[in-house]
Amino acid sequence: MPEPSPKSSTQSVPSRVYFWGRRQRRGLLPSLIGLVLVVLIVLPIVMIFARAVMVDGRLEFSGAIRTMTNPENLTTISNTLLLGLAVVLGTTIITLPLALILARTQLGRQKWLDTVLMIPFMTPPYIASMGWILFMQKRGLFQQLLPSSGAWSEKFFSFGGLVLVMSLHIFPFMLSILKNAITNISANMEESAAVFGGGFFYRLRRVSLPLISGNYAIGALLVFVKTLSEYGTPATLGRRIGFNVFATNIHQYATISPIDFGRAASLSGVLIFICMAAWLLQNHITTRASYQLVGGKGNRVGSKKLSRLSLITAWFLIAAVIIVAIGIPYFSVISTSVIKLRGYGLAAGNFTFAHYLTLFESLRSRSTFLVSIMLAISSASIATILGTIIAVTVNRFKSRLSKVVEAIGLLPEMLPGIVLVIGIMLFWNRIYRFLPLYNTIGIMVLAYVTLFLPFTIQYVTSSLSQIGENLIQAGRAFGGSPFYVFRRITLPLLVKGIFVGWTMTFIISFRELVTASLVAPPNTLVVSTFIMREFEQGSVSVGMAMAVICVLFTTSALSALSRFIDRQKKPAINL
Amino acid sequence: MRKLLWLASAMLVCLGLIGCSGSEPDVKNTQPSSETSSADTAQREPTAQSDQAQTTGSEPEALTGKVVVYMPSPAGLADKLAAGFQAATGIKVEQFQGTTGEILARLEAEAANPVADVVILASWADGLSLKNAGKLLSYAPANSDKVYPTWKDDGNFIFGTSASAVGVIYNTTIFPQVSADWAELADEKYKDQLAIPDPEKSGSCKDFLSGYLNNKGETEGWAVWESLAANGMTVPGANAAALEAVTTGSKGILVAGVDYNAYSSKAKGEPVDIYYPAGGTVINPRPAMILKTSPNVGNAKAFMDYLLSNDAQNLVAKAYLLPGRNDITSPNRANVSDIPVLVTDWDWMVANAGAIAKKLNTICAK
Repeated sequence: MPEPSPKSSTQSVPSRVYFWGRRQRRGLLPSLIGLVLVVLIVLPIVMIFARAVMVDGRLEFSGAIRTMTNPENLTTISNTLLLGLAVVLGTTIITLPLALILARTQLGRQKWLDTVLMIPFMTPPYIASMGWILFMQKRGLFQQLLPSSGAWSEKFFSFGGLVLVMSLHIFPFMLSILKNAITNISANMEESAAVFGGGFFYRLRRVSLPLISGNYAIGALLVFVKTLSEYGTPATLGRRIGFNVFATNIHQYATISPIDFGRAASLSGVLIFICMAAWLLQNHITTRASYQLVGGKGNRVGSKKLSRLSLITAWFLIAAVIIVAIGIPYFSVISTSVIKLRGYGLAAGNFTFAHYLTLFESLRSRSTFLVSIMLAISSASIATILGTIIAVTVNRFKSRLSKVVEAIGLLPEMLPGIVLVIGIMLFWNRIYRFLPLYNTIGIMVLAYVTLFLPFTIQYVTSSLSQIGENLIQAGRAFGGSPFYVFRRITLPLLVKGIFVGWTMTFIISFRELVTASLVAPPNTLVVSTFIMREFEQGSVSVGMAMAVICVLFTTSALSALSRFIDRQKKPAINL
Repeated sequence: MRKLLWLASAMLVCLGLIGCSGSEPDVKNTQPSSETSSADTAQREPTAQSDQAQTTGSEPEALTGKVVVYMPSPAGLADKLAAGFQAATGIKVEQFQGTTGEILARLEAEAANPVADVVILASWADGLSLKNAGKLLSYAPANSDKVYPTWKDDGNFIFGTSASAVGVIYNTTIFPQVSADWAELADEKYKDQLAIPDPEKSGSCKDFLSGYLNNKGETEGWAVWESLAANGMTVPGANAAALEAVTTGSKGILVAGVDYNAYSSKAKGEPVDIYYPAGGTVINPRPAMILKTSPNVGNAKAFMDYLLSNDAQNLVAKAYLLPGRNDITSPNRANVSDIPVLVTDWDWMVANAGAIAKKLNTICAK
């Protein structure tokens, strides 16, 4: 039962909020968070957008408007939107059956699948697209394996191929959100429907799917927004087929002379506008279709035993996804890393491990690997703590201010990374005298935290939306202080979402390229810039060998970690 | 309200601390970084001393501390130059490596508190732009009299301490021998085998195209490129990606490919070869310059001197680039005297290159 609140009678929000065991005025926490976000996100964005609208120290919008309304943009806008929608559709088709299988059948017990299905996301987009290009191109690996297939594989170089590669890269996002959501649907719901005679598809259509539509909207938004701001794949594959999107144009203004940050900012303004509209739509859907599924009642996870035939079909589906999403790009990556001379392709006697030796040799003299790991761990941890606090606060206060806070927290996801990174550089370089963070490793951590905060916010929000108010109220009724309630009820229920958020941030910080290539302090090389340097000027094979080592490392570290967490899990979490 | 402000600032400080402490282990574990940081602390004193030395006016100023250099690839060369300079002078080199575009973006982003002393770019046109924007410091390094006259400007602002040229790179398993001039590549036997680096991303390809059009005139020049585009020429990506397409055999011929990459691939044993069409090409000096805002001017000048020293010039030659000094030749590639060159006007090229690059991409996408 909520305390009667003297100040606001409309909301069942306690008038006094205790946070970290301290009595504070309501709204203090949101303002505090707001302030941190202003420094981390808003000021850098203001710095770069000022370049678009400030001419000789006064406001001048005509240039920005001219850039935005350039008729050439129309094709780019329609291309961008088309790609975004097609990739959302593509990921949905890949993800939905997988999520159902993993959440609802005995295959869910195969924990290794969780980690393996994360591999496409661990693969840097430019490596995955390069893998596909090497496989599908004329005289590529596919034609070398199957010479009789003719030029069939070259059909890959089309819009369909682009959508395929991007969907296969990003589907783990959607999968982790949907799987969590479906797992939280109590089997009771479906069984009641079954008792009343609902068939499988009826139950799917009228019970399960509506129950997860709110979470699906979150996942779809993430995929849509990420696709719009993605640079790696459109730059490697998209440009090759003459398919230009906003992100590539923005990069062009930012890193090709004549450098024009202002035009890059103006163009990303259009992108932010589109993404904000998508976010409002998602909010509308999620609020309307938010079902508090995690309540006090026992929540049996309905794990259905499949019949032999269905089991085979399910395994077949999973295998197909793994082969296409991981098998094909990694076949190219691994074979490139062991081919002696690339001009002679897959041929007997043309294989060697020398590239790995070269790699280990150059890794011994530099601590590239260690720097990347430390960067990923510290960024993921800070982003997770910050993201959790933001998501929880926003959820508890439900005021207009907190909505704004959430919107700001999501901004980094809507901008192509490079725009925010340049903003961060402009801002932290400007205040170097007061806070000498620029040109240190600290600025990289800060940039990663800023860029990847949206993930943690979205993951925690997605799990929060399913937790019933009644659990919190029960805790309060029995005299638990808000902090106690948070620590003993909310937090344990969130652990899974928080952990997934941390994992995603870790993975993406470990492989981030655009940020590292601009903001890294002198003499500092991380995994991604190392690979890029090998691609540009050294040996592509050594770069690919590094990519292989990185994925092996990430996969084994993550599976060890998730095993560890599983073992530590107290029974209380398994509601 | 005051409490709120106080709390807010406390939070900010915490955040800063988190940022720093999060990075601390990295610094300890990173060899390069830890060296930098210890060098930073160690050099604080010497820098102060050299400041004093300057103020007291004692002439040959003691060179200590660091120099911050922004260099494009090839990475191996950049590392060797940094190590060589450090060994010769004891000055620590802090280098940021990136593409020309990344370097320019970084310079622009840190304009408020400049960090870099010396900048090297891969495109002469971009060096000229920096000079025209008044961002450079004039200094004539030792040996600059031996630099090819067209590889330096008249105000001693930019020096081509190395250079690359573009040529035609071909896969020898597909075409054992090619020697066609630019226009002859429109021949039927090269149908769908042509690739060109994206001139909007490759400075050397962009400078070549604008040089070609400047030399031949726009009508005649574009007729050639349109005939190549009609012969199925595609744009696989920037320099590396375009060469990649030819190395792996997806395309047979790379038009206007940058030469040093091809020489190093060939040396590894890859089936590629390169020639310079008789019609002539553009040699693109890679400009080295000191920024007007350089915080360590003395060290920056010493680094420029080093770039034109025998040691550095030989390192340049070993990286398959053309040395900037006319008295040093490269044993493993075509030298300046072997390369047929188009007579071009750089000012015209700087003004028109952007539009030309864009147009080439458009006609190839058709």
